[in-house]
Amino acid sequence: MSRVLELESISKRFGSVAALESVSFDLVLGEVHGLLGENGAGKSTLMHVAFGMIAADAGRVIVRGVPTRFRSPRDAKRLGVGMVHQHFTSVPEMTVAENLWLAAGRYGAEAGRRSDSSTVTTAGSRLRRRLWEGLAPNDIVSSLPVGAKQRLEILQALAVGGDILLLDEPTAVLAPQETSELLALLRDFANGGGAVVLITHKLTEVFSIVDRVTVLRAGRVQSTGPVAGQTVSGLTAAMVGTADREPTVETSDSLGPVLARVDGLAVRGREVVGVAAIEGNGQRDLLRRMAGVLPAAGAEVIEPVAFIPEDRSTEGLIPALSLTENWVLGLAGDARWRRGPLLDWRAAEARMDQVLGEYSIRAGGPQAPAGTLSGGNQQKLIFARALEAAPRVIVAENPTRGLDVHATWFVQERLRRAAAAGAAVVVYSSDLDEVLSLATRLVVISRRRVLQVPPGASREAIGAMMIGATS
Amino acid sequence: MSGSIAPLVGFLAAAVRIGTPLLWAAAGEVLAERAGVINLSVEGSMLAGCLGAAIGAHASGNPWVGMAAGLVAGAIIALGFAAVAIWARTDQIIAGTALTMASVGVTGLIYRQATSGQVTGLSVITLEPLAIPGLHSIPLLGPVLFAQPLPTYLVGGAVLFIWFVLYRTTLGLRLRAAGEAAGAARAHGVRVRLIQTGAVVVGGALAGFGGATLVLAQVGTFAERMTAGRGFIAIAIVVLGRWHPAGIALAALLFGAATALQYVFQAMALAVPYQFFLMLPYLLALAALTGVAGRVRAPAGLGRTVD
Repeated sequence: MSRVLELESISKRFGSVAALESVSFDLVLGEVHGLLGENGAGKSTLMHVAFGMIAADAGRVIVRGVPTRFRSPRDAKRLGVGMVHQHFTSVPEMTVAENLWLAAGRYGAEAGRRSDSSTVTTAGSRLRRRLWEGLAPNDIVSSLPVGAKQRLEILQALAVGGDILLLDEPTAVLAPQETSELLALLRDFANGGGAVVLITHKLTEVFSIVDRVTVLRAGRVQSTGPVAGQTVSGLTAAMVGTADREPTVETSDSLGPVLARVDGLAVRGREVVGVAAIEGNGQRDLLRRMAGVLPAAGAEVIEPVAFIPEDRSTEGLIPALSLTENWVLGLAGDARWRRGPLLDWRAAEARMDQVLGEYSIRAGGPQAPAGTLSGGNQQKLIFARALEAAPRVIVAENPTRGLDVHATWFVQERLRRAAAAGAAVVVYSSDLDEVLSLATRLVVISRRRVLQVPPGASREAIGAMMIGATS
Repeated sequence: MSGSIAPLVGFLAAAVRIGTPLLWAAAGEVLAERAGVINLSVEGSMLAGCLGAAIGAHASGNPWVGMAAGLVAGAIIALGFAAVAIWARTDQIIAGTALTMASVGVTGLIYRQATSGQVTGLSVITLEPLAIPGLHSIPLLGPVLFAQPLPTYLVGGAVLFIWFVLYRTTLGLRLRAAGEAAGAARAHGVRVRLIQTGAVVVGGALAGFGGATLVLAQVGTFAERMTAGRGFIAIAIVVLGRWHPAGIALAALLFGAATALQYVFQAMALAVPYQFFLMLPYLLALAALTGVAGRVRAPAGLGRTVD
C-alpha cells in the first residue's frame, strides 16, 4: 500500500484560535478515509491545507513521497488532488460546461467527458459517466436541483483528472437514494486505484464505506485506525467527549388547537409533523407559504412564526455584521433591548453571550463577525434566533443539515421541547431517518399534494408514496 | 453621391466619429466590470489620455507617439485605482471618484506647466480620415464607416478581440468567474485580485486611448476638463450594452448619434434653444442607468471588494 498523501504535524492558528495543533494524517491508494469531528474541530481546515487553500503555520504536506509546497489549489490539482467543498463552488450564472472549464483551467476538458487520459483512472472515468446522468453541458447551474449541483461539484474536482479526492460533507445536501449512490461511486473510485478522504458527520456513512477513520477534536487527532471493530458510541465519544444521549422529552399525546393551515396541511399545537418528499415536489414552496415567506391565499397561521430555511448562508446571516448585530436584526422588537427607536446594545450583547453558551456555539465572542463562524455554528445561531421569539409555529427545512452528531441531537431536542411546550412544528428533511425519528405524525408531499401517512407505515410504503406509486 | 442623402451621411459619419472614443472607454470598462470591478476612474483615465496624447504628439510631431502616450497615461490612472480599490480594499465608488478628481487636478497642473502661460495651447497634428480603397465608395455605408480615422477601425478590432477573450479563452472565463462569484473562482485556483487588476489596468489603457482619439482625431488640442463626463457616459454605455461587447458597440453608436443630433438640429435653426440638444447624451445616459434599457443583470459580484 502506497501512501499518496501525508500531512505531517500540521499546525494552524486563526488569530487567537488554534484550529489545528500538530495534526498528522495519511491517505493510501485504494482506501476511503473517513474524517470525523464536531463543527469547528478542524476537519475542513486540515483538508484546505492539503488542497493548498490555506498555508499551514507549521508542518509538511507530502504527495506521493515528495514534500511539496502548495501556493494555491492550482498546484494541488496539478498533482492530482481534487476537492469537493462544503459550499458549492460553481458559478450559478454560468453553464455546466463553463464551470468544468473553469475547474480544469484549460479548454477542451469543458465537456468533462474526455480529459487527459494519462491521468484518469478507469474508475475515474466510470465515476464521471455516472455523475453526468441528468446533466447537460449547456444547463445553467442556477437552474439545477441541488443533487445535480453536488454531482457537478465532484465532476469539477475530477476535471483535471486526479486520483486523490477530498470531499467535505458531500452528502449533507443529498437525498437518501442519492447518498447511497454517491457512496457506492466513491467506493468504486477507491477500488479502481483512487484514494478518497470523506469528511462526514454521519456515522452510518462511516460504517458503510470507510476503511480507516480519523477523529479530530478541537484541532487535535483523537484517534485514527481501521473502522473494523469500532462502535458508534466509541466514535461518538471520541468526537464529543461524552457518550450518546437519548431524547429526554416525551411528546404528549393530547394535541393542541390547529395553529397553522395551508394547502391542505393543518398542524396542531404539541405535534411535530414530519414532511417526507423527494426534491422538487413542491415542499419547498409549501413550507415557505406556511412560514409567510411566500404569499399564500387562504393560509391561516398563528403568529409568531419561526422559519429555519435550508440555505442558511444566503437566507440567514449577514457575514460582515457581528453576532450581536445579526441577533438583533431578527429580534429588533424584543422588549429586553428595545428602547423606543434606540437599542440597548449592552443588553442584546449580554443575551447573545448567554446564547453562545446555551447552544455551545464556538465563536470569538458576541462581537465576532458572523462570517468567522464555521458552517455548523452559523446554523446553530440561526436556529437559536428563530426559537428566541417563542414562536407558536416553527417551520424547519433540513434543520440539521451539515451539523455534527452533538449539534444534531441538540437541535432535534429543542424542536421536541418546543412542541411539548405547545408549539406546532413542521419539519422537512431530505433524510428520511430524521423525519421518522422526529415526527409524531408524518405526511408525504408528492406532486404538490399533501398525503397523510397512516401510523405504522413501513419505510417501503412511505417510499412508494414519495415516488407517487400509490395514492 | 446624390445631394439628398448628404446630410444623412454627414450625421451618421459624425455619430461614428463621436462614438469612437466612447467605445474605447466602454470597451475598457466592460473588462473591469465583467471582472467585478466598477471603475469610475475611467473618466480620469480618459482625461489623462487626452493630455498624454496632446503632449506626446506636440513634443514629437508624430500623432502615433501621442496615441501611445495617451494609452500609458490612462493605464497609470487605472493602476492608481487598482492599488487603492483592489489591494487597499477601499470602496470602489469612492476610489474611482477620487482618482477622477485627482486626474482633473493633475492634468490641469501639468497642462499649465507645459504651456507656461502661452495662450496658443498645445497644437498637434491630427490623424486624418483614412479611406479604405473600394469599401469607402459603397453608397451611404462607405463614407459613414470606411472613411474614418484609423482609431475607429482599430476599436472595431478591439471590441471583437475582447469578445473573443471573454467567451473563448480560459483567461476570459476566469475573469467572468471572478466577477460573478469570487469565492467559487478562488476555490478553482483563480487569482481573483490579480485578474481584476489586469482587467482594470488594461481597461484604463483603452480609456486613455479613447481620450487620445478625442484629441488627435477630433478636437486637435487639449483643454482642461475636456472629456466633460465622457467616461461616465462610457459606464452608461456598458449598462445599456448589457455588459456585452456587441451591445456596447451598438450603445456607443447610439450615444454618438445623440451627440451628433445636436449639430443637425442646430443647422435646422429650430426655435428650441441649442442647449437642450447638448443635454441629449446625458439624458440618454440617465435613461440607460435607470433601466429604460430593460431589465438587465449586472455581474453578481460587481462593486464588491474582494478579500
